[in-house]
Order: sequence, then C-alpha cells, then structure tokens
Amino acid sequence: MITVNGLSKRFGAFPALKGIDLDVRDGEFLALLGPSGSGKTTLLRIIAGLEFPDAGRVEFNGEDVTGLKVADRKVGFVFQHYALFKHMTVADNVAFGLSVRRRGQRPPKAQIRARAEELLELVQLGGLGHRYPAQLSGGQRQRVALARALAVEPQLLLLDEPFGALDAKVRKDLRRWLRQLHGRMGLTSIFVTHDQEEALELADRVVVMDRGAIEQVGTPEAIYMAPESAFVSDFVGESNSLPVTVTGGRAHLFDRPIDVALNGAIDGAARLAFRPHDVSVCGERVGCLPLLVTGVYRSGGEWRIEGEVAGIDRTIEIDVSAAHPAPDIGTRLGVRIERARLFQTGEQP
Amino acid sequence: MTARPATSGAARFALIALAIGFLALFLLLPLVAVFAEALAKGFGAYAAAIAEPDALAAIRLTLLVAAIAVPLNIVFGIAAAWAIAKFDFPGKTVLTSFIDLPFSVSPVVAGLIYVLLFGAHGWFGPWLRVHDIQIIFAVPGIVLATVFVTFPFVARELIPLMSEQGRDDEEAALSLGASGFQTFWRVTLPNIRWGLLYGVLLCNARAMGEFGAVSVVSGHLRGQTNTMPLHVEILYNEYNFVAAFAVASLLALLALVTLILKSIVEWRFDYQRGGAGH
Repeated sequence: MITVNGLSKRFGAFPALKGIDLDVRDGEFLALLGPSGSGKTTLLRIIAGLEFPDAGRVEFNGEDVTGLKVADRKVGFVFQHYALFKHMTVADNVAFGLSVRRRGQRPPKAQIRARAEELLELVQLGGLGHRYPAQLSGGQRQRVALARALAVEPQLLLLDEPFGALDAKVRKDLRRWLRQLHGRMGLTSIFVTHDQEEALELADRVVVMDRGAIEQVGTPEAIYMAPESAFVSDFVGESNSLPVTVTGGRAHLFDRPIDVALNGAIDGAARLAFRPHDVSVCGERVGCLPLLVTGVYRSGGEWRIEGEVAGIDRTIEIDVSAAHPAPDIGTRLGVRIERARLFQTGEQP
Repeated sequence: MTARPATSGAARFALIALAIGFLALFLLLPLVAVFAEALAKGFGAYAAAIAEPDALAAIRLTLLVAAIAVPLNIVFGIAAAWAIAKFDFPGKTVLTSFIDLPFSVSPVVAGLIYVLLFGAHGWFGPWLRVHDIQIIFAVPGIVLATVFVTFPFVARELIPLMSEQGRDDEEAALSLGASGFQTFWRVTLPNIRWGLLYGVLLCNARAMGEFGAVSVVSGHLRGQTNTMPLHVEILYNEYNFVAAFAVASLLALLALVTLILKSIVEWRFDYQRGGAGH
C-alpha cells in the first residue's frame, strides 16, 4: 500500500502540489487524470523519487521513503517518450537494470540474457532482442520500456503518459493489452494521463486533479455518474453548464424552479451541470426550457443539437433520438433536463 | 510539385560558380601554395627542414600542449555542458555567456591576461619568483593560454545536444538502479559521443594551431618555448621560406585530416540523430 500525506511542492512561485493526501491500494490500477499544470506528473515523480517534496510524506507499506532516491525505491518508471537507450540493443535495454547491479547481487550473464528474453516474450516482442530501438515502432518501443521497467521486479509500476506519443489506433490496442497484463500480474500501478477516456477505460480508480489539488477520487463509474465538483463534471465526459440561483431551498433558472437535488448548495449563485443525453424533448409546454436551434449534426444513432437557451446568452448541446425528425435550424425546441447536478459556485448574489 | 521558374537554373549555376570560385581563390589556392613552396627545393630540403632539431622541438611542444589542453577541456566541457543542460541553478545564463568569452575576446588579450596575472610584474609575479616557478615565457603559460582559447569548443558542441536529449535517459537509468557513475558511463557518454568527438577535433585543431595568445606568453625561445605556428613565423621572418612552409604544411595537413574526420563524424552524428526516432 502506498500512502501519500500532505504532499506539497513549489517550482519557483508556481505551486505544483498543494497538500495531497492519497492512498493507493495493493494491486490496483490507479489513474492520475487532469489537465496540464494540474500537478499529476509531479505527484507521480515524487512517488517515484525523481522529484522531492517541500512538505509531506510518501510511505511504501508503512515505511517512510520520502528521502529515498529513485534507485532505492524499487519502482519501475515508464516515460512518455520511452527513454530507451538507443545505442543498446533491445535485449541490452531490458537487461540494463540487472546488469548494473553490484557484483554479488548481479545474476550471471546467461541468466540475465534468459530473463531479458523471457520479459520480451511477456511483452510479445520475443525474438526482437537483437534489434535497436530505432528499428521498432512506437508501440513496440513502449513495450520494450515496460519490459525494461519490469526486469528489476519493482513493487510499484509508474507510467507517465505512457500512450501520449502513440497514434490513436496503436494507443487503443496497447491500452487494452496493458489492462490485461495488469490483470494477470496484479502489480500495483499508477499512470498519468490527460485523456479521460483512457483513465475511465483502464483504471480501477481515477484521481481527478486540478491546479495542484485532488478534486475527486473514485471508480470510473462514480467519477462519470456522480462528479463531486463542477470541475470534474466539466473535465470528465461532455457536460453543459447553466448559471442558476438557489433561493428558498430550490434552484431557479431565470426565475423558473427546476427539479434538481441541492447537493448541499445554499442560497446564492450555483451552476447546473448536465450531460447532453440527460435531456428529453417536450414540445412547447410550460415548464420546458425553450431552445433556439443553431446547429444539428448526426452522431451515431442520435441527433446532436446545438441550441441557445432563450433569455440568457448560453449555448448547450443535447442528444435526442434520431427516431424524431431533425429540428430545423432557427426553430424553437422545448427541452426538459431529466438529470442534473448542482454545484455551488461560491460567489453570492 | 510545380515546375521551377526558368530563371532559377541560371541563378543556381551562378551561385554554385560563385561559391566554388570563392573557395578556390581563398582556400584552395593558399593550400596549394603552402605545399608548392614547401617542396620548391625538392623533397630532400623539405624532409631536412622538418628533421631540424628546433623544428622537432616545436612539433614536440605542440603535441605536448595539445595533449594537456584537450583532455582538460574535455573534462571541463562535459562538466559545464552537463550542469547547464541538465540542471537549473541561479547564474546559469551568466555561466553560459562566460563559456563564450574566449571566442569573443581577441587571443592577444587572452595572452595578456596571463602575463598580467603571472608575469614578473603581474599579480602573482613576486610570489612565483620567490617559489622559483616560471609560468610566463615557459611551457605552463603556453598550456594555460591554449586551454583558455580552446575552452568553448567541447562545451559549445555539447550544450545544445544535451539540452535536446533532456533528462529522461538518465532518469530511466537511475530508476533501474544504476549509480551516478554507471549512468554517466553507460548512458550519457554514449548519447553524446559523436558530438563530443566533433568538439574534441575542433578543440585539438585550435590547440595545435593557436598563434596569438601563445605568442604573447611564449617568449619565442627557439627549441624551448616555440610551438609550430610560432616556429613558422620565426623561420619566415628569417627568409627561410622552404623551412617555414615545410612546417606550415604539417599544420595544413592537420587541418585536412581534421576536416576529413569531422566529415565522417558529422555523417555518423546525423545518422545517429536521424535514426534515433525522437
């Protein structure tokens, strides 16, 4: 179990991390998700021992490792741009961690070679050991980097944007494969990504970060279905946001009451967040949100409709079943928000 | 691709002719002249001029100075480039500009600096005299001046290369349990080897060919403190043209060998960079 306690780090005047607390369970696949500048890579590098915090502790299984260098932490680290040693063959790259061990701890040469070949088999690159990194594709290189990290039998695997440099197709294949490999090996793993789809598909739990702080920790399901902050709601999945006012225990969208759980919001300004598909068309009846249609696109089996909310200068996107005829641009459409979440914005009216 | 305008053919020809003409006039012709003058009285005179004891002493001294200055600048150059490329620290930009100082200052001034410091009337002159240490008008001064003027070559070559390579490879090696020394020897050095070799070649060429700074501190003692370039000048001033050009031809040969090696290194360097994939 990895425990991070009150971790803070500044780069000059820029606060990269502001008091991070986090538990990583044994065997879990954890994603650190956030936009650039959110501190996710810094957190990963501090856990690795490639960077050191200004305050706070890092513990591996109850043992304080905050001051330990990367070499003494038994972690495997995979870099976005692979960081393969280009003057060495693939097999020598994989064997590197074993070959630099002190005499006495270093296995005999034949055994190192056998281990490297075994790991290359594991990452499905058996027989390519004699090649140089330049002779491999991006996806293959990243698998070599993974085999190299696994060679030292780390207690923790850390991956920094591992698919970031790959093209879309390879990325998808590699990520499925990595998910399966993790399932088989059960090695505690943390990976950093700015791609929410990647985080939701791969991880057991997702840590959403913004501006050096953790916004939410939870399963992909919880992160997507029950975002706990406006940031998470915006960042994960598609989301619309409308300004509302809370008065007398109810939310109002320009003076009309809306049925939505208050989610702890007190009287004042708030934001109403809802997904494009959590909306139904309700004609012109009273109580519907009047929408001026500004764009219609076909998206799979649905119409993606862009519309301006009458009365306020806000555009929202909704999905309606393509069973309906597509509304014409410039016409009015009444919609009903079926599921939404309310977030206090802080500023008072 | 669209067809090129008709004029570009003529323009290209003119440019190429100009470049080749310029090279022939200002570079090739003097080079040929050096060898022609050196061999003007036959190969026997040429060999005798080089085998002359003072000439041999000058060659030995030049080799000695290069053998000291080049390794020192390899160490300094790698250390400075490593610090600048891989770490952030206050005063980094100042250090970077200081590395260029020997390029921007006249070699004569570089020599005078050492005279000012270590000469008989210099800052450390009295102390040196008391301890019977001779720096100026002796070999140590020549070495110091040469180290000074050749310092930027290795560092200049390595800084952009190491900056571009970033820290990932070193961090990967460290995360795999390598020590600092193993990381340098097995990862950093192979990554920079062609750039380093290129810098060393240029550094060596300049160390052997330096005239201005060395001239100021050498004292021109025949057979003792004369390097090859200084020896050439002395012979020339004595109207001993065959001998002057014979020794000069050795320096020209060094330049040619350097050029050829440089081309080979450049070719390998590009190949390695291009094939690296990132």
